[in-house]
Amino acid sequence: MASIDIESVRKSYGPVSVLHGVDLAIKDGEFIVLVGPSGCGKSTLLRMIAGLEEVTGGEIRISGNRVNDLAPKDRDIAMVFQSYALYPHMSVADNMSYSLRLRKTAKDKIASAVSSAATKLGLDPLLERRPKALSGGQRQRVAMGRAIVRQPKAFLFDEPLSNLDARLREQMRAEIKKLHADLKATSIYVTHDQIEAMTLADRIVAMHGGVVQQVGTPLELYDTPANLFVAGFIGSPGMNFLEGRYVKTGEGAGVRLSDGTVVPVAPRAGLAPETTVTLGIRPEHVVIAKDGMLEATVDLVEPTGFGIILHLSLHGLPFKIFTLDRDALSAGPTVRVDFPQKHLHVFDETGSRAD
Amino acid sequence: MMHQPMKHNRPPMMKRIADASEPYLYSAPALILIVAVMLVPLVVGISYAFRDIQLLNPFSGGFVGLDHFRALGQDQAFYGALRNTLWWTGASVFLQFTFGLILALLLDKPFYGRGLVQALVFLPWAVPSFLAGLNWAWLFNPVIGPLPHWFYALGLMDEPHNILSDPHLAMWGPIAANVWWGIPFFAITLLAALQAIPRDLYEAASIDGAGPVQRFWSITLPFLAPTIAITVLLRTVWISNFADLIVVMTNGGPADRTQIVASYIFTQAFKRLDFGYASAIALVLLALLLVYSMLIVLLRQTMLNKG
Repeated sequence: MASIDIESVRKSYGPVSVLHGVDLAIKDGEFIVLVGPSGCGKSTLLRMIAGLEEVTGGEIRISGNRVNDLAPKDRDIAMVFQSYALYPHMSVADNMSYSLRLRKTAKDKIASAVSSAATKLGLDPLLERRPKALSGGQRQRVAMGRAIVRQPKAFLFDEPLSNLDARLREQMRAEIKKLHADLKATSIYVTHDQIEAMTLADRIVAMHGGVVQQVGTPLELYDTPANLFVAGFIGSPGMNFLEGRYVKTGEGAGVRLSDGTVVPVAPRAGLAPETTVTLGIRPEHVVIAKDGMLEATVDLVEPTGFGIILHLSLHGLPFKIFTLDRDALSAGPTVRVDFPQKHLHVFDETGSRAD
Repeated sequence: MMHQPMKHNRPPMMKRIADASEPYLYSAPALILIVAVMLVPLVVGISYAFRDIQLLNPFSGGFVGLDHFRALGQDQAFYGALRNTLWWTGASVFLQFTFGLILALLLDKPFYGRGLVQALVFLPWAVPSFLAGLNWAWLFNPVIGPLPHWFYALGLMDEPHNILSDPHLAMWGPIAANVWWGIPFFAITLLAALQAIPRDLYEAASIDGAGPVQRFWSITLPFLAPTIAITVLLRTVWISNFADLIVVMTNGGPADRTQIVASYIFTQAFKRLDFGYASAIALVLLALLLVYSMLIVLLRQTMLNKG
């Protein structure tokens, strides 16, 4: 168990800079998810914490001790790889006990650590098998088992579920969450899947272009995204965006869209009138109403079973609605929509949230 | 059970013959080619072992049964050649493998100019073996080569003489040439195997607490084992059959001290022109190598099944 502090950490490969100063304080026992599109630097950051990549600048501390120049084996962390990285020539039990054997732990202690981890993960009947005789989900469990036998200070997960099919991923997601509730070990989990991030994290760190965009609880990121990137990345189907100009109206404020319609919004103190803004609204918050203020053409109707996704064109731009109302199946050719004010997000010219 | 309706209209005779012979006709060209270029020479060669075939004796050619093999059983030169073959093959394979592995491990690490070094390192493999042999023979020759003088300067020799004419050291001449010539083979194949090892296994091991030596023993070596087994097998067979360097550098001398079975066969066939006896020796060598190969294949199978 340990806290992990990351202070203005930078990484560059020659002239190419991939992390531009990351600050992050991870509390003991916290489950942190680093999320972002590929190439955002999340895996690099994780590998730097593990000691697999050198730190170009800044400082990483585990339990308050600077680890920048420590070898991976001296950091007392465990890592679960996307490929699982199981030793193919060792049995499941040997895979799990490898780290303890290297540390010359007593035989009976190794046996009890392996068997308790195996029981926790349901690996008991598989201990003598080799990785190639296991299914993807079982391999995933062995990789987790290998991490937990050591009781390290922290767990690092590098997209551990990407190689599993959707159903198994859902199941393992729940197991990882249970395991964390059980072990309460500090965990850092890298994924590009925002559903994994939302469901697993105590706090999410959204990254883009080597810069941390927002740190917060899943619902903070969902309800009050700090900028356009986070707003668009978190949530599926993604948030709708409309360009417009911020205007003062008699009773308050609004955003004037290209066709002249003014969508009323709560006044934003930081915005001068006539600045270009982006209006954001999540698909599930859009209301279909006969007397709605905007008209959109229905391009496509996608029933998901759970709900219905309507793909629309609004002022020639793609726009999505998610609704549980089955009447939407027969919507079209045009619908009128309304935007409830409390669900509207406004982003300024730089893409930052305006409140 | 479903009953098939009775077939009253059997296809005509010609059609049935054509159908039955179809697979044979398709495979015939390949089979005829294989038989013509592989089996026929093999059978003719084996038949020589049981016949008296001497090029300079016009009355030879008759069937002599196992006479050649009986003579071989009494042939001290053959036993000497067999011992020399073991020495030659063992030392050459061991040194080629050791240096090849070291070279492969070095080339596996990225460094500036690796592409160029890789290309240069593999150059000896492209040199014709008899050229390599000549070159090394000259290197060992104190009149034109520097090696004896260097050995003398290092105190390894009392005087700069030619080790190729020293009965106790002569074998090291061809072995040195062979090692120089054969390292690239091991380096190339082992390097390919090394590069096929997933990098994240090393990363996982280093997080698990393994140092460089432990990583080598618990990841690199198990991954290389099948490649090592098959390359050592191949090289052993090739080297024990490989007489070029010996024929060029020492011609089996001095006093048969570098005569291996393969060069002995060459001597019997092309110096004494006794093809019958040479074939008999070749057949024995073939049998020995077959046994050896079967052993290695079995070993590899058990290793793969375990792995």
